[in-house]
Amino acid sequence: MKKIGIPKALLYYYYNDLWIYFFKYLKLNVVYSNQSNKKILSDGERLAQDEACLSLKLYLGHVKDLINRCDYILVPRLYSVKKNEGVCTNFNALYDLVNNTFDNINILNYNIDLTKNENELLGFLNLGKELGFSYINSYIAYKFAKEKSLENRIRREEKQKYNLTTNNTKILVAAHPYNLYDELVGKPIIDYLEDENITIIYSDRINHKIIDSECEKISTDIHWTHSKEVMASINYYKDKVDGIIIISAFPCGPDSLANHLAIREVKNIPVLKLIMEDLNSDIGILTRLESFIDILKQKKEENYEKNN
Amino acid sequence: MKKAYLGIDIGSISTKGVIIDSDNNILLSKYIWTEGNPIKAVKEIIEYFKNNISDDIKIVSVGTTGSARRLIGSILNASIIKNEITAHAIGTLSIYPDIKTIIEIGGQDSKIILIDNGIVTDYAMNSLCAAGTGAFLSSQAKRLGIDVNNFGSIALTSNNPTPIAARCTVFAESDLVHKAQMGYNKNDIIAGLCKSVALNYLNNVAKGKKIAEPIIFQGGVSKNIGVVKSFEDILNTKIITDKNGHLMGALGVAILSKDKPEIEFDFNINNYKYSTNSKFCGKCPNNCEVIFINKDDEIIDHWGNRCPRGEKITNKN
Repeated sequence: MKKIGIPKALLYYYYNDLWIYFFKYLKLNVVYSNQSNKKILSDGERLAQDEACLSLKLYLGHVKDLINRCDYILVPRLYSVKKNEGVCTNFNALYDLVNNTFDNINILNYNIDLTKNENELLGFLNLGKELGFSYINSYIAYKFAKEKSLENRIRREEKQKYNLTTNNTKILVAAHPYNLYDELVGKPIIDYLEDENITIIYSDRINHKIIDSECEKISTDIHWTHSKEVMASINYYKDKVDGIIIISAFPCGPDSLANHLAIREVKNIPVLKLIMEDLNSDIGILTRLESFIDILKQKKEENYEKNN
Repeated sequence: MKKAYLGIDIGSISTKGVIIDSDNNILLSKYIWTEGNPIKAVKEIIEYFKNNISDDIKIVSVGTTGSARRLIGSILNASIIKNEITAHAIGTLSIYPDIKTIIEIGGQDSKIILIDNGIVTDYAMNSLCAAGTGAFLSSQAKRLGIDVNNFGSIALTSNNPTPIAARCTVFAESDLVHKAQMGYNKNDIIAGLCKSVALNYLNNVAKGKKIAEPIIFQGGVSKNIGVVKSFEDILNTKIITDKNGHLMGALGVAILSKDKPEIEFDFNINNYKYSTNSKFCGKCPNNCEVIFINKDDEIIDHWGNRCPRGEKITNKN
């Protein structure tokens, strides 16, 4: 049985549900790279160009981690996944980048480019074909995977809706999910907040149906599909949380514009911007988080005293 | 016996210490260079306090802040270890209860703290690089062959500050050399540098933040009257500076230590040998570097490990 390797970085955090249910339905074996660790990062740094962003460096490290552990490595190419919108240039280049960085690598690829009418379904039909499945089999597998991944998303959204009703201190942590949940990037921050008993609201658990309408309140055309979720969450949750922490990987072009546009909408609560790069010292991040939590606690105490 | 509280602020460039009484009055203070050796700097400060403190005063708690707060905190057995933002705000508010904005530019970082009704409501800190901080000014002073202490007074003699790009220290340096070779006056260049520090701060650290009056300017760079004047010119308002501005962090953390359980302070830390060493854990691919703090031969603290596996290694094996 052939094994498909999935790097636990970048697109994994958006599409894993879709991939895993698709492959599961077709009874294919999947193997993941390990969680991000210092070795994966340093491998990635060596492989990447020096001006690549932290997340791309990590991605290449994850690909390396999979080499010799599977028959294929899944590396899609995304160009435009929503009408009149684009995605991060790294996602455009991912297939070629990996292909040129590694020798003798067996890449499993699908392409989504709405400007050329190549949609997600077509991508998955071609993906199935390459693995030796008929269009009808792949079609059913795709539909199944699509339904399941939506179900999972809605479950996460419901849980978040419930978390929003608590009286506990709530912080929106807004970031691309590949930063938010990465073991080296967002995870230490999430862990710190959890230790401080903060209720965390995640930007990628916003009701997916309101993303477009919330973004329209900020600007009528935002180019990057994956930035819209982050922007919409900042705008939607700004009156519902006590503070916002924005995590971004250095250097991120879309973030530098999108985050700034969204922050301008926030008036009455503190916002902390954390830019993560491979040279970060933990103490620098800790100082910023600690101060931020102090501010929220002081405010809460003040309000409590006022109301009593 | 009168109770007193010790606050130490160990920054990248300078180390500050204060002893306060229970009414927050500063009894003793000391300001010295850290010179890359926080343990030595703190020992020097403690020695000074030991020799100058009157006999009827007893230190009942210690607080530490600044970038070496944890290291020094465990050496001094501090009852509170606090980040510099909170410490600065508390210290400043104890003297200026109405303050709305704190501008702080230190050796390697700069921050803005916004206060409303005596409560910190927001803050921002420089990210990633130290452009436009004290380290930047002192390296440029060295390049121009001028004592950084005279920088401000020289800047004030200029009527026509030379524009200098201060976004990046490396670029600023080449810009500065270029301007000097073009024949600009030294005092204009120095005034330009001061202005560029203020502009860099307002465009980066304070970007998007509402700077409300009254404003206080603190940190080592606030001693530079050229930079103070630049801020006043750009913001078109009066900026408060305090002769004790550099002590606010230490003062704040001393005040915070008052609420903590009392631990009598032992002035004899100089009798012990404190050292640090580090070791790579090696138990997983993260290979965390664990730092050990030793008092003579005994480990008194360690940190740097991401998970409990790092707890099991010692500095010996």
